[in-house]
Amino acid sequence: MIYLIKILKKEFLIYSRKSSSFISPVVFFLISISLYPIGISNDPDILKNLAPGLIWITVLLSTLISFQNIFSEDYEDGSIELLLASRQNLSLIVLVKIFVNWIFSCLPIIILSVSSVFLLYFPQEGLKPLIISLLIGTPTICLFGALAGALSLGKNSITGPALMLPLSLPVLILGTQAINYSLNGINFSSNILLLTAILVFLLPIILFASVGALKLHFN
Amino acid sequence: MFQALKNFYHKLGSFPWFYKISGKVIPIVGFFSILLIVISSIWGLFFSPTDAVQGDVYRIIYFHVPAVSVSQVIYYSMSVAAGVFLIWRMKMAGVYIKSLAPIGAAFTFIGLLSGAIWGQPTWGTWWVWDARLTSTLVLFLFYLAIIGMQSTFASRKSADTAVSIITLVGVVNLPIVKKSVDWWNTLHQPASISISGESSISSEMLIPLLLSILGIYLFVFFTGLLFMRAEISSREQNKEWFKKLSSNN
Repeated sequence: MIYLIKILKKEFLIYSRKSSSFISPVVFFLISISLYPIGISNDPDILKNLAPGLIWITVLLSTLISFQNIFSEDYEDGSIELLLASRQNLSLIVLVKIFVNWIFSCLPIIILSVSSVFLLYFPQEGLKPLIISLLIGTPTICLFGALAGALSLGKNSITGPALMLPLSLPVLILGTQAINYSLNGINFSSNILLLTAILVFLLPIILFASVGALKLHFN
Repeated sequence: MFQALKNFYHKLGSFPWFYKISGKVIPIVGFFSILLIVISSIWGLFFSPTDAVQGDVYRIIYFHVPAVSVSQVIYYSMSVAAGVFLIWRMKMAGVYIKSLAPIGAAFTFIGLLSGAIWGQPTWGTWWVWDARLTSTLVLFLFYLAIIGMQSTFASRKSADTAVSIITLVGVVNLPIVKKSVDWWNTLHQPASISISGESSISSEMLIPLLLSILGIYLFVFFTGLLFMRAEISSREQNKEWFKKLSSNN
């Protein structure tokens, strides 16, 4: 357990010292959110209807900025190789890395998504399902990001996003649907439960797959 | 029986054996697949009755249904091969995935295209964001990701492993995608053929449809063998057995 805590501390330190890792998704999110009214319409009624989908899609796209961060630097300076050689439980290490990445790249965006109340005229009563669905949905997206990042290590290609976005489709559907349900007065708890189920179901699978993908780079 | 199956499985892993056998099988399979496709097309296009509601447009079913069904079957068979590759490191499974992925992508594309052509006169639109169409599109994207992944690794073994991982993660995710888009929206007519229950299609239309499905499956078998042979010959071109074989011919 001690090595996990050490890795957790190290990851926190790295992310907090490298401000671009958590500032760039936030900036991307704010810029895109303020572009929608300009590009689509400044009519509150139109924006209000589109807001759930727009917020979710923007969150999804802003994770594309950060998913390479999970492994790429460790890969370049060789510390992944040391972790692989350390005979510790790699899936747990990967889990810690994904968790820290989520804290620094997704959590600020989730907090900032409250700003859509002003920017997109998003109704206040929709905030609760928005925040809950983002809190439960984004970890799944980070998992897919970790897998895509592990597979496309050291390569700057489209394969990472091309792999990650189709996989994230169910999360996007269930997340936006939860918000739309609650805005129409329908109980949205089933969607949240399904999002949780997807997260719990995919967590071990993706962790194993990511470890397998990491090992590929060091034969 | 079990022993024979086991022997067959072990032989399947051997490139020279596969190369020899597939050379014999290919002409037969190719002949029957083309024959069945020709028969079912002529039967379907000229002799099967006109649909009461949709008119003659429905005849595209003889291309649409086989293409879509085979595209899913190819994906599931690839995921079995991916499991085999990851567990037993059987090189043939890697060859199988690499060869079948473009075929699967092609048939998914044919399915989407013929569906659009069919949808235009019947639904009045080329494309709708309906559950089945969307999940087929996602299947197509998975195929593209698998094909794209092939070229990002320098070593053949790493590429095969990476592709197997993606295929398996995709097959876990596909039912979730299917189910979630089902709740989201559905306009597509439900499946007409059911193995267990009564089919909702008249037998005069069903027989050419089944023939065309069989023809397309055989065609995939045929092209799959061809692609796999090509892949094997590019991987094994410097091996002793291959040189011997090519110098004999």
